[in-house]
Amino acid sequence: MMPRAKLKAQKVEAANALLDGRALPQGGAWITRARSDAEQRVRDMGLPTKRDEYWRYTDPRRLTSADVVAGALHDTQGEAPAFDAFDRVKLVFVDGVFDADASDPMALDGVEICQLSQAAMTDLHWARDIYGALEARGQSPVERPLASLNTAYATEGVLIRVTGKPAKPISLIYQRKSETSDAMVHHVIRVESGAEATILENGPFATRFNQVMEVDIADGGTLHHIRAQGRDHERAGSAHFFARLGAGSHLKSFTLTANGALIRNDSVIWLDGGEGSAHVAGATVGDGAFHHDDTVFITHGAPRCESRQVFKKVLRHGAVGVFQGKILVDQIAQLTDGYQISQSLLLDEDAQFLAKPELEIYADDVKCSHGSTSGEIDSNQLFYLRARGVPEDTAKTLLVLAFLAEALDEIADPAYAEDLRARLEAWFERRG
Amino acid sequence: MAVLDETQMREGVDRETVETVQSMAGTYKHGWETEIEMDFAPKGLNEDIVRLISEKNNEPEWLLEWRLDAYRRWLTMESPDWAMLNIPEIDYQEQYYYAKPKSMVEKPKSLDEVDPKLLETYAKLGIPLKEQMLLAGVEGAEEGRKVAVDAVFDSVSVGTTFKKELAEAGVIFCSISEAVQDHPELVKRYLGSVVPQNDNYFAALNSAVFSDGSFVYIPAGVKCPMELSTYFRINAENTGQFERTLIVAEKGSHVSYLEGCTAPKRDTNQLHAAVVEIVVLEDAEVKYSTVQNWFPGDENGKGGIYNFVTKRADCREDRAKVMWTQVETGSAITWKYPSCILRGDDTQGEFYSIAIANNWQQADTGTKMVHLGKNSRSRIVSKGISAGHAQNTYRGLVSMHPKAKDSRNYTQCDSLLIGDKCGAHTVPYIEVRNASSRVEHEATTSKVDDDQLFYCRQRGMDEEEAVALVVNGFCKEVLQELPMEFAMEAQALVAISLEGSVG
Amino acid sequence: MLEINNLHAELEEDSGVKILKGLSLTIKPGEVHAIMGPNGSGKSTLSYVLSGRDGYEVTEGSATLEGVDLLEMEPEERAAAGLFLAFQYPVEIPGVGNMTFLRTAVNAQRKARGEEELSAGEFLKVVRAKAKELQIDAEMLKRPVNVGFSGGEKKRNEILQMAMLEPKMCILDETDSGLDVDAMKLVSDGVNALRDAGRSFLVITHYQRLLNHIQPDVVHIMSEGRIIKTGGPELALEVEENGYADLMAEAQA
Repeated sequence: MMPRAKLKAQKVEAANALLDGRALPQGGAWITRARSDAEQRVRDMGLPTKRDEYWRYTDPRRLTSADVVAGALHDTQGEAPAFDAFDRVKLVFVDGVFDADASDPMALDGVEICQLSQAAMTDLHWARDIYGALEARGQSPVERPLASLNTAYATEGVLIRVTGKPAKPISLIYQRKSETSDAMVHHVIRVESGAEATILENGPFATRFNQVMEVDIADGGTLHHIRAQGRDHERAGSAHFFARLGAGSHLKSFTLTANGALIRNDSVIWLDGGEGSAHVAGATVGDGAFHHDDTVFITHGAPRCESRQVFKKVLRHGAVGVFQGKILVDQIAQLTDGYQISQSLLLDEDAQFLAKPELEIYADDVKCSHGSTSGEIDSNQLFYLRARGVPEDTAKTLLVLAFLAEALDEIADPAYAEDLRARLEAWFERRG
Repeated sequence: MAVLDETQMREGVDRETVETVQSMAGTYKHGWETEIEMDFAPKGLNEDIVRLISEKNNEPEWLLEWRLDAYRRWLTMESPDWAMLNIPEIDYQEQYYYAKPKSMVEKPKSLDEVDPKLLETYAKLGIPLKEQMLLAGVEGAEEGRKVAVDAVFDSVSVGTTFKKELAEAGVIFCSISEAVQDHPELVKRYLGSVVPQNDNYFAALNSAVFSDGSFVYIPAGVKCPMELSTYFRINAENTGQFERTLIVAEKGSHVSYLEGCTAPKRDTNQLHAAVVEIVVLEDAEVKYSTVQNWFPGDENGKGGIYNFVTKRADCREDRAKVMWTQVETGSAITWKYPSCILRGDDTQGEFYSIAIANNWQQADTGTKMVHLGKNSRSRIVSKGISAGHAQNTYRGLVSMHPKAKDSRNYTQCDSLLIGDKCGAHTVPYIEVRNASSRVEHEATTSKVDDDQLFYCRQRGMDEEEAVALVVNGFCKEVLQELPMEFAMEAQALVAISLEGSVG
Repeated sequence: MLEINNLHAELEEDSGVKILKGLSLTIKPGEVHAIMGPNGSGKSTLSYVLSGRDGYEVTEGSATLEGVDLLEMEPEERAAAGLFLAFQYPVEIPGVGNMTFLRTAVNAQRKARGEEELSAGEFLKVVRAKAKELQIDAEMLKRPVNVGFSGGEKKRNEILQMAMLEPKMCILDETDSGLDVDAMKLVSDGVNALRDAGRSFLVITHYQRLLNHIQPDVVHIMSEGRIIKTGGPELALEVEENGYADLMAEAQA
C-alpha cells in the first residue's frame, strides 16, 4: 500500500478500535440521529495523528488514547477563581458532570437554559438544528474528528437560547476534583435576532476533557465569550468552538490559558451574512511542561465583514506554543477586512513557538494582512525601565503584561479584562 | 547613454522596457518549435531506460547504481498532495525521458560544429540579452559584460561559451555529463549532498533520469570573472526535461548564475522536474537568478509546462552566503521552493521572488530558510500577483533550530489580486526553537489600487499600461535584486504576463 | 475651451445621492476661472466627473473641451485631449520612480496625439530644467511617485507634471490645501508661468488666499451642486470678508 493510503487505513483502524463495542447514549429521535451521524464521521475520518497537516505541531495521542493519563490536582493557594467578583448565573460542572446543588437556578430574563441530558430525552428541541450540525460543517475543509467524537458521546452540557439582552452573564464553571476524570461536554448556544449575551467559562475542567461549543448567532445578534482555562498543570484537553454568524451580527471570543500539559483550542467561525464581525483572541502563559495550541479558522462567506485574530503567548522553561490561523475569503466576500496577529515572547532558551498563519483569498476587493513575530524581551526597553529605577523582575513583568495587553483589549468589557490581567500579573509574581 | 549617471540608466532601462513590451504585443513569444532530427529513447520509464540514459552518457558504474537506487525509491513514493495545486494525473509511461538532437550524438568539439538550426533557435529566443551571439561565438558581443552560457536543449547541453577564459581563472563551467567524464571526483563528492535522491518525489525522479544540466566549480578565493548562465529550452513533444545543476563554491569564492527557460506552445502538457544543488563553503557567495518563462498554457488553460523543481543551497561553512532571486511568470503549474540550509555560523540566505499567475495558471512557490548555525540571517521578500482564473500561493518555512542562537529572519510577503476570479494565498510555517532568535513575518493581500490606476490614466496612460506600471512598482524590491539584463527582461515579462487581465 | 452645460451627476454607490444639480460654466481660451464654495458643495466632484473617475454617474447635461464631448471618453483620452487635474490628494505609487512615471505619461500622451516620443536624453533635459524652477531636486525625481513626499512636495510635483504634459485645460483641485505661505508662492509661481493665451485654468479653492497669487479673471460661487453667483476677483474678497452664508441665503431667496 502507498504511504497515504496506509496512513488513512491506520487512522480508521484506530477509530474503529476505540468505538467498537461502545454504545451511543440513550436519547430521543433527534439526538440519536445526530449522534449516530457523528459516530460514522469519526469512523470515516479516523482518529487524528501527528502526520495530519493541522496536527503537525501537536501530538494528539493523549487526547485519543483509550485511557486517561492520571494527573495531580493543582493547589491554587487560595487564589479566587476567575470572574468571582461578578454577579452572574453560575452553572457548575464537576469533572464534566453538571452539579445542580452548586449551581444557580436556570432562570434569567431574556434567556432559556436547559441541560443537554434533559433536552436529549425529548423528541424535538430547538437545538436539533444546531447540535452536531455546526460541528459537521466544521469538518470541511479540515477534519476535526475529536469534535465528532464529542457530538456522538457527550451527555453533559447546556443548551442556551438568548432571546433578549439578559442583565447578567451566564457563567459556566468547570471544577476538577478527580485525578483521573475524563470529561465530554457539549454546549449549544443560539442568539436570536437582535439579542445580546455574555458567556463566561472558567476552571480546569477535568484531567482530560473534550469540549464542544456550537454557537449560532442570528442576524443582528451579539455574543461575548470569555474563557479562562484554569491553572492545573497535569491535565490535557481539546475545546472546539464553532460559531456561525448571520448578517450584521457580532462575536467576540477571548481565551486565557495558563498551564496544562496539552491544551488544544480550535475556533471555527463562519461569517455567513454581510456586515458581521468576528474577533477571536487569546493570551497564553506557559511555564515548564506545557503545550498549547490555538487553531483558528475564520471563513468570510459574505461581503463587508470584519475579522480579527489576536494571539499572544509568553513561554518559558520548555513550554511550547502553537498558533495555526487562517483567514479564508470566499469569492463573494468583497470588501472584507481581515487581520491576524500571532506573537510570542520566549523568556528563555528552551521555549518554542510554532506558527502557521495563513491567508486564503478568492475575492479581489479585500484588505487582509497578517503578522507573526517571535523573540525575547526587548533589551532596550528593559534597560530603559531599569535605568529609571525599576527592578529587573518588575520591569520584565511590566513588559510581558504590556505584550499581552493587545489580546486582552479584545474583550469588550474592561472589567473582565482587568480581572484576567490581574490574574496574569499574579501568575508572573508567583514565579518571580 | 554612457554619459548619464546610474539613475538615468535605470530610467533608460525602463523606457526600453516599455518599448519592448509594446513590441511584444500579446501572447507567448517563444511558442515556436525547431525542427531538428532527434534521437529518442523509447517512451516510458523502467530500469532499462535508466540504464540506457546512463549508457548514452557513458557514465561510471557508481552513477548508474545511484540512479537505479533513486528509481527504486521513487517507485515507493507518492506525488506530493499538500500544495494548493490541482495537478492532473500524470502518466509517467507516456513521456520520453531522453531526447537528443541527432547532430549531438557525436559531441561537437567546438561551437562551429553545433547544428546551425540549434544556434538559430537561440537566436530566435533572443533572451536573456545577447546570449545567442555569445553562443555563436560572436566576439563583438563581448563589449558589454561577459556572460558565459551553457545551453540545454531538451535533455542535453549543446555548448558552453567562454570555456577557455573561465579555465584560466580555474572556473569549471560545463555540462554535468562532461563533468562526470572530466571531474568525476567532484561530481561524486557533491552530487546528492544537498538534495538526496529520496528528498521528494520529483527529486527522486530527476535523480533517476536526469540526462544533463550544468556544473559549476569555483575554486577557493576566485571571484568568477563573468556571470554564468544556463539557458533551458524544451523543444521535443511529450518530452520531459530533467536537468540537474550542481554548483560548488569553494572557500572565499564568488559567483553569479543566471537561469532562463522557454518551451514551445503545445496543446499537451509537458513535464519539467529539475534539481539544483548549491554547495557554499566558508566565506563564499553565490547569487542564483531565474527568469522562468516556460509556456504557461493558452488563455483557456490548455497545454503548458508542469514545473516541479527542487532547488536548495547548503551554506555548509561559516559566513557562506546565498541569494535566490526568481521571476516566475510561466508554466501551467509551478511547484518550487528554492531553499537555504544555513548550517554554518554567520551564514546568510536571501530569497526574492515575483510570481505572476494569469489565465488558468497555478503557482505554489516560496522558500525554506533552515537556520542551524549561530547568528545566521535570512530575508524573504515575496510578491505574488494573481489575475484571470489563476491561483497563486506563497508557501514558506522559517525554522530556527535550538542551536541557531541569535539568528534573525524577516519575511515580507505581499499579494496583489487583479479581478475577482483568481486567488492569492499565503501559507507560512514559522518554527522557532530558541529564544534569542528573532522572527518577523508580515503579509498583505489587496487589489490593484483604483486611485493609483486613475492617477496614471489622468496623466494619459491606458489601463494596461497603468496596471503594468503599478505592478512593476509593486515588484520593485525584487526587480532591483536582479542583474541588469534580467531586470529588463523581467519588467517586460511582468507586463506581458498580465495582458488581458484588465478591462 | 471648456463648456459645461446643465451638468447633473450622482454617486454610483449610494444611488440617488445627487451631487451636481445643473451646473453650467464656460471658460474661454487663456482665461483663469476660480470656483469657491463651502465644503460639500460639489467642487471636488466636478473635478472628478470632468476627469472621468469611476463612481459618479452623469444623469443629465454635457461637458465639452474644444467642442469635443469629454464625458464619453476614457480618463486617458481626456488627458490626451489636454485635460489635466492637479489632485487635491496626489496618489502615492510605491516602487514606481517619479521619472519613470513622468516619461511614461508624457510619451503615452504624445503617442495618443500621433507625436513622436521623447528620447531619454531630451526628456531628461526638459524635466531637469522644469524641476529646477519648482525647486524639485534630483533626489525627489528619483523617489517613488509621491511616496514620503511632504504636502508641499506633492503639490509641487503636481505642477511639475502639469508643466511637462503641457495641457490646454488645467483643473487645480484645492491645490492650496496643506501648503504653507512659501510653498503656496512656489506653486503659484509655477502655475502663473504656465499661463498662456492657449491655456485655461479652473482653480477650485475654499479660501481666497490662493487667488492673491493666482489672479482669476472670473470667480464662481458654488453651492449645493450649482453655480449660484458669478463675478470678478472682487467676489472672492467678498466671500473672504462675509463668508458664504449671505450668498447662499441670497441664492435661496
